[in-house]
Amino acid sequence: MRLKNKSNAKTAETRKKRLLSLLEQQGISIYDHLDKGKFPQFVIPSRSVSNIVYDKKIRQYILGSASAVRSSRNMSQLRSYTQLAWLAFFVNRLVREGKSSTLRDIYYSSQAFSIDFEDQPESDNIIVDLEAVLTSPREEFHIFPEERSSVFGDLTIEYTVPGYEGKRMNLSDHPDGYLIGPSLSSAELVDTSAELVIAIEKGGLFTRFVEEKVHKKFKAIIVDTAGQAPRSTRNLLRRLNSEMGLPVVILADGDVYGEHIAMVIKSGSANAAHLRELTVPDAKWLGVWATDIEKYKLPTIPMTESDIKRIYDLQKDPRYQEGNWKKQLEVFLKLKRKAELEAFSKYGLTNITDKYLPAKLEESKSF
Amino acid sequence: MSKEVFSQISPSEFFYRNRDLAGFSNPTRSLYTSVREFVENALDACDQKKILPDIHLSIKAVDPEKADPKHYILTVKDNGPGIDSEHIPLAFGTVLYGSKFGLKQARGMFGLGATMAILYGQITTNKPVTVKSCSDGKTIDEFVMLLDIQKNKPVIQKHTTKEGSKTGLAVSIVLEGDYSKAGSKIRDYVYQTSLITPYATITFEDPSGEKFHYARIVKDMPRPPTVIKPHPHGIDVETIRRMITDTHYQIPTIDNKMIDKVKKELSLKKNLTPKEILERAQKRWSDISRPVRTVISVMSFLNIDFEGLKKIRIDDIDIANKTITFWDFGESQTHAVDLDPESPYYKQLASTVQGDTLLTFLTKRFQRVGPTTAEKFCEFAKFKPDKRIGSMTNEELVKLADALQKFEEFLAPDPSCLAPLGEEPLSKGIMKFFNPEFAAVWQRNASAYSGFPFVVEMGIAYGGDIPPSGLKVYRFANRIPLLYDEGSDVVLKIVNETEWARYKIKGDPPLVIVSHICSTRIPYKTVGKENVADRPELERELKNALQYLARKLAVHMSRQGAADMAKKRANLYSKYVPLIAQFATELAGKKKEPNYNQLIRMGSEIEEQV
Repeated sequence: MRLKNKSNAKTAETRKKRLLSLLEQQGISIYDHLDKGKFPQFVIPSRSVSNIVYDKKIRQYILGSASAVRSSRNMSQLRSYTQLAWLAFFVNRLVREGKSSTLRDIYYSSQAFSIDFEDQPESDNIIVDLEAVLTSPREEFHIFPEERSSVFGDLTIEYTVPGYEGKRMNLSDHPDGYLIGPSLSSAELVDTSAELVIAIEKGGLFTRFVEEKVHKKFKAIIVDTAGQAPRSTRNLLRRLNSEMGLPVVILADGDVYGEHIAMVIKSGSANAAHLRELTVPDAKWLGVWATDIEKYKLPTIPMTESDIKRIYDLQKDPRYQEGNWKKQLEVFLKLKRKAELEAFSKYGLTNITDKYLPAKLEESKSF
Repeated sequence: MSKEVFSQISPSEFFYRNRDLAGFSNPTRSLYTSVREFVENALDACDQKKILPDIHLSIKAVDPEKADPKHYILTVKDNGPGIDSEHIPLAFGTVLYGSKFGLKQARGMFGLGATMAILYGQITTNKPVTVKSCSDGKTIDEFVMLLDIQKNKPVIQKHTTKEGSKTGLAVSIVLEGDYSKAGSKIRDYVYQTSLITPYATITFEDPSGEKFHYARIVKDMPRPPTVIKPHPHGIDVETIRRMITDTHYQIPTIDNKMIDKVKKELSLKKNLTPKEILERAQKRWSDISRPVRTVISVMSFLNIDFEGLKKIRIDDIDIANKTITFWDFGESQTHAVDLDPESPYYKQLASTVQGDTLLTFLTKRFQRVGPTTAEKFCEFAKFKPDKRIGSMTNEELVKLADALQKFEEFLAPDPSCLAPLGEEPLSKGIMKFFNPEFAAVWQRNASAYSGFPFVVEMGIAYGGDIPPSGLKVYRFANRIPLLYDEGSDVVLKIVNETEWARYKIKGDPPLVIVSHICSTRIPYKTVGKENVADRPELERELKNALQYLARKLAVHMSRQGAADMAKKRANLYSKYVPLIAQFATELAGKKKEPNYNQLIRMGSEIEEQV
């Protein structure tokens, strides 16, 4: 059994305290401005393309020093300023009361406070603004997207959500896996016997892995990313890595999108450049590599034009400028063909867990 | 082949047969046209004598119980100069008798309309016209008369006189009309006439006894128009030819009357010898008139006295060959005598025959052409400035007329023959009539189409008491409202072509445009004189005037927009600041809300940062 290292990791409780303190500071600042007859304002780090830079040290995209001021003095910003103030107010309630919400729920909740969002994209944007102001992901605000991914394996958690405080649960009790939702995201990670986290792109293979007892065979926690991993899932992966000290490996389709799914888990996305703590810099991309396609003689389908365009786009990304990441892109481009994870079924349903996975895990020790 | 019969008809008969042309096509239109003609005559009469007009119009049904169309008594009374008793029968009892023949602006053109109305009344009701006039402030002459259509002569039924105290004229006719249909147009006409004649008081009493009273708004009369010389741009070959020949530069006809004139100017009592006559003439040369000088010159070359002069007829004075040709009645044969170019009389004859130099002709006979412009023109037209106009060939006249049209350095036509209302009275009229939130007027400089000067005056009014029912255009020409055939009018065309959105005008705006065209000749499209044709020069002036005013309106709309914006600001801050305060209070963990009223006030007052 592996115990989490409390001294190093930020626990859910300390993160919550930090957030509430930030919100209070904002509240006091606004309050004082109003009281003194001054126009309050938010300073929002700029998320424009020109302000997104790749930080090689922490191995993720971050925002540069540019920031924008949203001031209540400017009539055209007054409305969105108020929306942002409302969101801070609402998030404060959510976090204090331990309630959860979704992006859509936020949009509808606003109406009760005479805060009129034109549509959900507008409220989604305000949420991202607040993330940037407080440099905290929305999951910490208890705001989640509608889509969820799953986790399965020997991991004991302790709920912090109201009504379940202190209650523990082991995530290997239910074979369908557990939704990575608000309560799981806010739970403390207590302990695990696992030595590895396997993130897999597809729900179908996640189920297969559970059936094949991959969690036992490889002492692994299996996470279904359901395509591009949602931020709550990436956050969980990071916590499993940093708090529980588990290495993270990633299995995705043998195409350019699969490669990028692995990259986003490892070093984040430009969209979330304003946030930290969503990346697992030491995560390893197991496959399916372009070179695996030939090596394992996988059945392939031709790439579409958009696949190829995506390769060219990624070749400009600073993270793809060296090593295996660069090499695999080049091979994909040469092959102009791709293979899905299911391609291994050609050699038997258990081929991927019996042959490919062990081989790749072995291989991964060397990179 | 049948033989065609030609017979002359009188002007009265001509108009009787063609009354549709003059706006007397049916009882509705006829009633309206009659009102117009009498009111306009009354206003013109007052204008000419600089009398502030006080016009009273009444329409009464002869039998109110009857259905339309029926007989109405139409009476128009003014405080004008009246008409001399001796002129009244002719003025109101003949067609084509008028004083309005001249190059200046007037409402009616020839004074035909009033007679047409009288004629129409007589045709439809067989009732006479009643004219009451007082021109000396003492005696009122009352005539009751009919028109003899065939003979174009008045038939006086009754003439009475009585004592009066004020000048003025009252005309009353009985005519068939349809007030139920014409009423709204007549009321519009009176309303709009009052708008464009703010110095007049106009009262209209309709058949039901309802009174529409429009009191004088301004007390100053616009400057009256003057009669003027033509502008070079308005001239064709035929007009030039007439201008050259209708002068006193012709060789005078030598008859007894002329000889008496010569004798009178030389103060001759008895017969003198040719030599003595010449000596007498020499002494008085600077005092005697040009025709007499010409006769003396002829006498000098022929060496004859007055008796001799009576026996001959001058046929030709040929300056090129230096000969004078005459017919001798006594001998019944033609003689030719050489002209001595050294003789002082030669120059006199030459200049008489050949007329003025082109330079003199241009400066003397046209408006706004000075010696400098005339010289420039001569250079432009490739004529020598001292070219005698009498010596021009047909081709040269065509070339001259053509060049007069094309030369662009002539000053704009003299607008003194025009009588625009003026910006101030127009503006006052608009303010009084529409009580708008914004109004602007502009009088353009005079321009000309085909040499006829015109002036465009325009006013624009927005908001206030104007209903938001879309753009309304009031068209006037020579102070007459134009009510019919709106669709094909040039003013409407210009207004409709305007992109109002560019001037921040949208939807159905509370917008009024008042357009007034003054000209010695309004280019009407039809005889009915209700719509103005789209001459390019006129179109350009209208467009410029409208654009200028529209830009002014746009500035107003922007200011209005800024005011609206301030209001919007105030609303926004009143709405959002309390919300922000509410959120901040809970966020900050406070119990009491901050005092944010100051901020709401400041937010409302911030100047927009651009």
